[in-house]
Formats: sequence, C-alpha cells, structure tokens
Amino acid sequence: MAENQKQNYLTHPKGIMSWLLTLDHKRIGLMYLFGGIIFFFLGGVLALGMRLELAAPGNDFVSNDTYNNMYTLHGAIMIFLFIIPAIPGALGNILLPLMLGAKDVAFPRLNLASFYIYTIGALFVMYTIISGGVDTGWTFYTPYSTTSTSNVIPMTMGIFVIGFSSILTGLNFIATIHKMRIPGLTWYKLPLFVWALYGTSLVQITATPVIAITMVLLILERLLGIGIFDPALGGDPVLYQHFFWFYSHPAVYIMILPAFGIISEIIPVHSRKKVWGYKFIAFSTLSIAFIGFLVWGHHMFTSGQSVFSQIVFSFITYFVGIPTGVKIFSWMLTMYKGQVSFTPPMLYALSFLFLFTIGGLTGIFLGAVALDIHLHDTYFVVAHFHYVMQGGTIIAFLGGLHHWWPKSMGTMYNQTVASICCLGVFLGFNGTFFPQFLLGLRGMPRRYATYDQQFAELHNYSSFWSGILGLSIFISIMNLLWSLRKNNKLDPGTNPWGGMTLEWTHTTSPPHPHNFEEEPVLEHGPYDYDKVIVEPTFKK
Amino acid sequence: MSEHHITPLKTYLAVAGTLFFLTAVTVWVSYFDFGSFNIIIAMGVATMKASIVALFFMHLLWDDKKNLTMFVMSLMFLGIFITVTLLDTGFRGGVNSEVEYPINNRATFYDSLPLTDTHGHPVDEHSADQHGEDEDHH
Repeated sequence: MAENQKQNYLTHPKGIMSWLLTLDHKRIGLMYLFGGIIFFFLGGVLALGMRLELAAPGNDFVSNDTYNNMYTLHGAIMIFLFIIPAIPGALGNILLPLMLGAKDVAFPRLNLASFYIYTIGALFVMYTIISGGVDTGWTFYTPYSTTSTSNVIPMTMGIFVIGFSSILTGLNFIATIHKMRIPGLTWYKLPLFVWALYGTSLVQITATPVIAITMVLLILERLLGIGIFDPALGGDPVLYQHFFWFYSHPAVYIMILPAFGIISEIIPVHSRKKVWGYKFIAFSTLSIAFIGFLVWGHHMFTSGQSVFSQIVFSFITYFVGIPTGVKIFSWMLTMYKGQVSFTPPMLYALSFLFLFTIGGLTGIFLGAVALDIHLHDTYFVVAHFHYVMQGGTIIAFLGGLHHWWPKSMGTMYNQTVASICCLGVFLGFNGTFFPQFLLGLRGMPRRYATYDQQFAELHNYSSFWSGILGLSIFISIMNLLWSLRKNNKLDPGTNPWGGMTLEWTHTTSPPHPHNFEEEPVLEHGPYDYDKVIVEPTFKK
Repeated sequence: MSEHHITPLKTYLAVAGTLFFLTAVTVWVSYFDFGSFNIIIAMGVATMKASIVALFFMHLLWDDKKNLTMFVMSLMFLGIFITVTLLDTGFRGGVNSEVEYPINNRATFYDSLPLTDTHGHPVDEHSADQHGEDEDHH
C-alpha cells in the first residue's frame, strides 16, 4: 500500500516517450496546459507591445503595418491557441475522469490525437508568424482578407486544423460523461464543472464544423476566386460575417462555459456551503449553449444586414442575460451565510464575479442596436470583450489552476504571493480596461496604432496598468512553477480546501496513474456540506 | 441496440433502386424551368436521397434513437443558420431601399444578363434611371 501510494502519474512511468505517447488523460491535460501557457505568454507579450506603442500618440516604436500584425496575432493566438483549448483541454482533461470516478476518458487514443492535431495547427500559426504575419484582424473579414498580401492562408489553415482538435475533445467528453460515470453518479449528482464541460462539448461539436467550412471557403476564394464573398462575382461579403459569427458567437460560450464551471466548483468549496440552485446552474449552462446559437448577428449591426434581422438579433441577445443572471445570483446566494475563506482560488472567483458582471452588463449595452451603431469598432467593444474573456475566462482559469494545483501536482504554492498577485491582476486589469470604456464612449476607434492628443491621458493610464497586470500574471505563474522545486511535496492524502468531489476524496494528490486504486463508491453528493463534514487537511 | 440488426439484401437493393430513380428524377427536372422553385426541387430530391442513405445504409433507422436525435439536431442547426441568415438577405432595403439589391444587379458576373428589378422582372435602363437607383451602372 505504501509503495502504491508513492506511485503517481507524474513519476510513473518515466521517460520522454512515456509522455509523448501517453494515453493518460492527466498527462495529456498537462501537455495542453504547457502548450496553452506558452501561447498565453506569446499573446501577452504582443498585448504589452501594443500597449507600449499606445502609451503616447504617434508611431513611437512600431510601424502601422507591424501594429496591424500585432493585434491580429494577439487576438488569434489568445482565442484559438489559448482560451478555446486551454480550459477544456487542460483542466477538463485532468479533472473530468477523476470527477466521474473513471479510469480515463472514453477514447484515450483520440484524446492524444486531438492534442497532436492542436500541435499541428499551432505549427501553422508559428509558420505564419515567422513568415511575416497576417494583418486582417482575428476575424478575417472579407473583402480585405481575400485581397490582403499577408499570410492569410497558413493562418486560416491553422485555425481549420485546430478546429478538429476541439471537435474530437468535445466528442470524447460527451461520450465520457454519458458512459463512464461510476454507478450511482446520476446526472444531478455530477459536479457542476462536468455540466459545464458537457454544455461546452455540445457547442464544440455542433459549431466548430462551421468555422472549418468558413476557413475553407475563404481559402478557396483567395486561391480560385470562386465568388462566394466577392460582390463582383455575385457573392456577398456580409455572408462571410454570417458564417464567421455563426461559429464565433457560440465559441464565446465555448470559452466562458468552462469558466462558469470552475467558479461553480470554487465557490461552494471555499464557502463550505452547499451550492444554491444546483439545477438552475446546470440547466442555465445548457440554455446558454442553445441561445448562443441564435444571437450571432449582434456582431454585425453595422455590416449592412437588414434592419429586420438587426431587431431580431438584438431582441434575442437580451435572453442570454437571463441564464447568466441566474448563475451570478446562485453563486452569490451560495456564499450567503457561508464560511467564506479568502484563499487564492476564492479571491480569483470573487474577482470573476465583479469583472464578469461588468463585462456582461456592458454586453447588454452593445446588444442594443441604437447604442451599438455608435459604439461599434470602438474601444468600448475592446473593453467589453476583455472584461468577459480575460476578466471572466482567464481569471477563472487562473482560479481553477490555483484550486486544483495541489491536486494535479501534489505541491502547494506560496499562498501569500498568490493572493498578492491576484490583487495585482484585479487592479491591473481594471486599470487597463476600465479607461478603455471611456475611450470608446468618446469615439476612440479600435485597431489604430496612433490617436488624437485628446485620448492621450486615458491611453497612458491604460498602458501603465497593463504593465502591472502582465507582471502580476507572470509572477503568479512563476509562483506556481516554483512550488515544483524539490522537497516541497505534500502528503498524498492532502485535501487542502476540503473539497467533496471524487477527485479530492477518493484519490491521492497527485493521483494514481490509473486514477483510483479501486472503483470509488459514491458516499455523498458533490456539495453536501450540510450533511457531511470534510475537514481541509494540509500536511507536508 | 443490444441485438445487431442485419438488413436483408432485398432492402439494400430496393434502396439502391430508389437512389438511382431519384438521380434520374434530378436529371429529368433539370430540363424544366420552375423559376425560383428550381433550387427547392433540386434540394428536396437531394435531401430525400441523403435521408434514405442515412436511415438504411447507415442504419440510423434501427440504431439507438440518440444517434438519430444527434443527426436531426445537426440538420436543425443548419436550418437555424440558413433561415436566420435569410432574415438578413431577404429583408435588406426595409429602411434604405438603395441597399436592397445592389450587389447582385451590379456584379460583373451579371453583366451578360439583362438588368432586372428586385423581383427578377426585366427593366430597361432608362426607367430605372428615373428612379435614381441606377447611378452606378456602367
């Protein structure tokens, strides 16, 4: 038994090939995490470069063309190589089978294949960067993307390929959730993170083929001039935007739903309280996934689409606010009269509540046609989606990383440093992006390398705080990595936050190579803090 | 689901026959001009063929109904995409009539065809000019 306890998936089996050819979902998850962090760093450096350029008016550091490349690559890398694959690919892979009591995902080989497909797509993107970049913006709108002389084809090929990785991961997760649960783990006893992954996977397999089609049509249009989007050949450039957003709006939910799942795990555990409105949270996930398919036109209010469809899209957009509000209120009621401890994961979850609410509410502004026509393509939009994507998804990702780090790596980071970094991220984030709401309201357009003197003060302020934000994220990641040093191992039985889901109660930290030494027997629900006492244990 | 369904050879042959017949129908109707119904008829026949293949050759008819649900759902999403996009392209010009049909009528692709109004009826260039809608025509 003692010998068995020493065995964990990080050290057994050994050797580089045992990692590269592994079928273990935890190792594949770590490889996704590693890839994701690299691209997060790359995208972050590009962002800081842009903020440096924008610190003062005029072209101080980079030319207009370089700036165009920078924002395109920043957007494409962050979305297609970090946010979309990172949470389902990394945290989802590591945690899903553990939460279900399973030995692995349903199709382990497919899981490894999806990681390598992601790598191939990433190579295409790297090739694009090395061979001179691409300057169309991450949305690749026609007609510019069909006429631009930059490397549109390798970039869109990369996105095409990465899409298949998403589809395979989604398929794998759906099969796993349906078929691999231990006896007694019924749908309403699943941890909410699993529900979130289920909703995400449904969107992944239904929406992602559309981006693949769109990218292929774009490539064919460029290479052969087939006339799908070119009006001179009878095509319609607005059709491209329909195609693109029919995927990319649901993709927003591919990015945010797993984040909701993480928050639904962190808040009850760190409040020591049963989650409020379990079924509401679970079904709001599915309804967000469905409504997400019906609102894409709100990205296109100034594209020249018909007024009738503007009204329809604007109207349906408001419905997204309902399930999202249900979640926010459920989380707040979960904390109410709970035993809230301000650990680093909980601090991230609290930051998420503030930032995501601002992001969500400004989304309601932009969903109103009349207001959007004024605010479209200004910094207001930039600030809004960063509040949702960074203030929402990335903050939740960092929170989840801090929450499950002791579980997946078997070490504990310095919690004081982590908490200070969280504060730095929160302040830096607001300092960077709140001024951008004001800039946008005053008419500062997005995607410009320079600007009028009247915008200088707010831009300067935004650039200063972006440095704090970048530094805080960097230190928090370094803090996590520093915990991996020698002689810093936790006792394998550690459950530092007192979690009640299977990954905390039935396996070691880090887990056994086959997850559980024997099939776990379900003793209580995932959040039964009112019925069972699970004390946090923390020993070295 | 547990018992494996074995389809008799007769069914396969009948399905193949139907597919050949429908292919012939596709070819046959292409000789007639039904106006805007051309596309609807062609797509209708094609959809019928695809459904037969999915139901019989791909065994969806006898499979777990979950698979059929998934398949129908994917068609439903395609339906959503097409219908809602038509809310745009079908209603352009509701407020500003000049954006209603400018793209297709001015495309070089259509230069060889006679100029038409929004309903596809031929118009002569002079009367169109009087409505002030034809300024860009070359």
